[in-house]
Amino acid sequence: MAKKTQQTKFIGQVTKIRQTEPQTVIEWPRALTHVHTYGMLSPFFQGLKEGKLKATFCPNKKCPEDRLWIPPRAHCPDCHTEMKWKTLRNPVIGKVYAFTEVVYAGTGIELSTPYWQIDVQLPGLATVPKSYLLYGKPYIGMKVMAEFRTEKPSNTVLDYYWVPVE
Amino acid sequence: MITFKKGNLRVPKWNRRVFMVAGGTTAYRKFFPEYKLEELVMMAFKQMLEDNNLKMDPLEVKGLINYAAYGEFADHFQDQLLCEAKIHDYLGLDPLFNVGIKTGGATGGTTILNAAMAVASGYADVALAAGWERMDEVDTRTGNFYISTAACKDFETRLGRVYSSYYAPMANRFAWAFNVSETTRAKIAVKNRLYACSSPYAQQPGKHTVEEVLASPMSAYPLRFLECCAMSVGSACALLCDEKTAYQLSDNPCEVFICGGTHTLRVADRRPMDIPLLPNEIPGMYKELVKEGSRWPGFESFLAARFAAYLTYRMAGIHDPLEELDLVELHDAFTISDLQTYGDIGLRPYGQEQDYIESGDAYYGGKCPSNLSGGLLGTMHAVGATGIFQAVECLWQLQQKYDQFHGDSKIWKKWGKTKPRDWKSLQIPKKSKQALWVSHAGVGSHVTVCIIKKS
Repeated sequence: MAKKTQQTKFIGQVTKIRQTEPQTVIEWPRALTHVHTYGMLSPFFQGLKEGKLKATFCPNKKCPEDRLWIPPRAHCPDCHTEMKWKTLRNPVIGKVYAFTEVVYAGTGIELSTPYWQIDVQLPGLATVPKSYLLYGKPYIGMKVMAEFRTEKPSNTVLDYYWVPVE
Repeated sequence: MITFKKGNLRVPKWNRRVFMVAGGTTAYRKFFPEYKLEELVMMAFKQMLEDNNLKMDPLEVKGLINYAAYGEFADHFQDQLLCEAKIHDYLGLDPLFNVGIKTGGATGGTTILNAAMAVASGYADVALAAGWERMDEVDTRTGNFYISTAACKDFETRLGRVYSSYYAPMANRFAWAFNVSETTRAKIAVKNRLYACSSPYAQQPGKHTVEEVLASPMSAYPLRFLECCAMSVGSACALLCDEKTAYQLSDNPCEVFICGGTHTLRVADRRPMDIPLLPNEIPGMYKELVKEGSRWPGFESFLAARFAAYLTYRMAGIHDPLEELDLVELHDAFTISDLQTYGDIGLRPYGQEQDYIESGDAYYGGKCPSNLSGGLLGTMHAVGATGIFQAVECLWQLQQKYDQFHGDSKIWKKWGKTKPRDWKSLQIPKKSKQALWVSHAGVGSHVTVCIIKKS
């Protein structure tokens, strides 16, 4: 005969009820950690911690795209050749192409609001990478210089940012 | 540089004609505790089968369906993988095959495209396109974070965690490039929220002034809260069929033409290219368009929207959209995305987009009114449902059923509302023949452009 002491126990947390009218609404807590790889782009993020802005380029001389990529890509979208790395020479100077002041940000934001998000045009790049301005007020055409979070890096794209070039 | 080869530019052609005959929708709310998601989809499904004056018993119509395409933006929001299977079973459609569609904000449009392809290919004579979103399980800031994971998680998401911050730089660049006043953008918000006042389904109707829009709290400069759509809960569905069935079911079916385009998820990766020209544009006309240092599509325009329009206009035989279209429903998730699209789909040449608003063409009674449904700003953006909702609003307008589906006091009451005393019909004239809607994702990553024609 089965023993009553071996019965299945409820080991979860009691679900909170938010409201019962007009219908029952419960809370469903979620806490998640994803394990995410930077894959073949890892040198880019490693470079930021060393004060280097690294771009990729397609080594295929027959490829129609001969410019640099930031965000970098491991493979060329035009000819599928594996890209190579090039470190941009410091100081890296660019121009503000577009900008916004982020006032209301979503959950988990890692920058203090409000802050200036900027898109920067760099000579020789096919792309216009998005980043942020550490201080000052941007305008289209403004000259900016890249700086790096080499101390206490966040290990994310936030490890480089721009400052005005006076 | 993106260059096209002959095959890339092939205009899609159905193997047989495709028609839309009926649609249904729920009301849309920020928080909808009264109903579970599947219950909301059932309500839209029932309205489609029962209230569209189809010439057959609703369950007989249901018996004709043999394929279902379901649009849902993000599993995150519903916190339910394979939600499509749950909905499909709840609608009582097993064991028919169903497929889930995910193309961000363009999910609704892509769902219609998928259902249309099923009919055009002969897989189905009658196909259901249904979509939904339940964005009220998390608070607004978490919802914004979820949506921002539709930006690049390595290079963009951490820089904003809110989608307005990806559109706002485009708004600043657009204003700089084409000398556009903030007032023009604000007028779009005023217009669409006003039209939402006539809709029993609308989430954010309002009689605002330009001053109120510009004084509303800032999300990401220059986009204010009243220039941004909101989190929504709701569902919409449409019924597509072949020509023979269309006339068995309806005296006024509408023929469907729809194509899509895509472009980089990250705005950063948009490389300069030549502008694909619409049928009414001429080579060389954009030579002087951009200032030094600018490029097309740059941050000002959407290649995906232009490419979809390029194909759809040729598929549907449209030469001059402003002259030939009687109504458009555009993806006004933000005022700026609405404004940018006017050039992409040829309502105005690039660089003159603001004139579509300032001339009055975009208003009810104007040459080609836009977003009489209230759009995303005024009525809804339950993302997976949006492109389908827009389709249904276009269908009802061409079928002269705007009043039937917006002016009936019972519908207002069904959704817990009272029909306003000053309710105004936004029915377009009887002579109207064709309408267009745009379904749009990301910062232009996926776009569908669809035209329906009164047959």
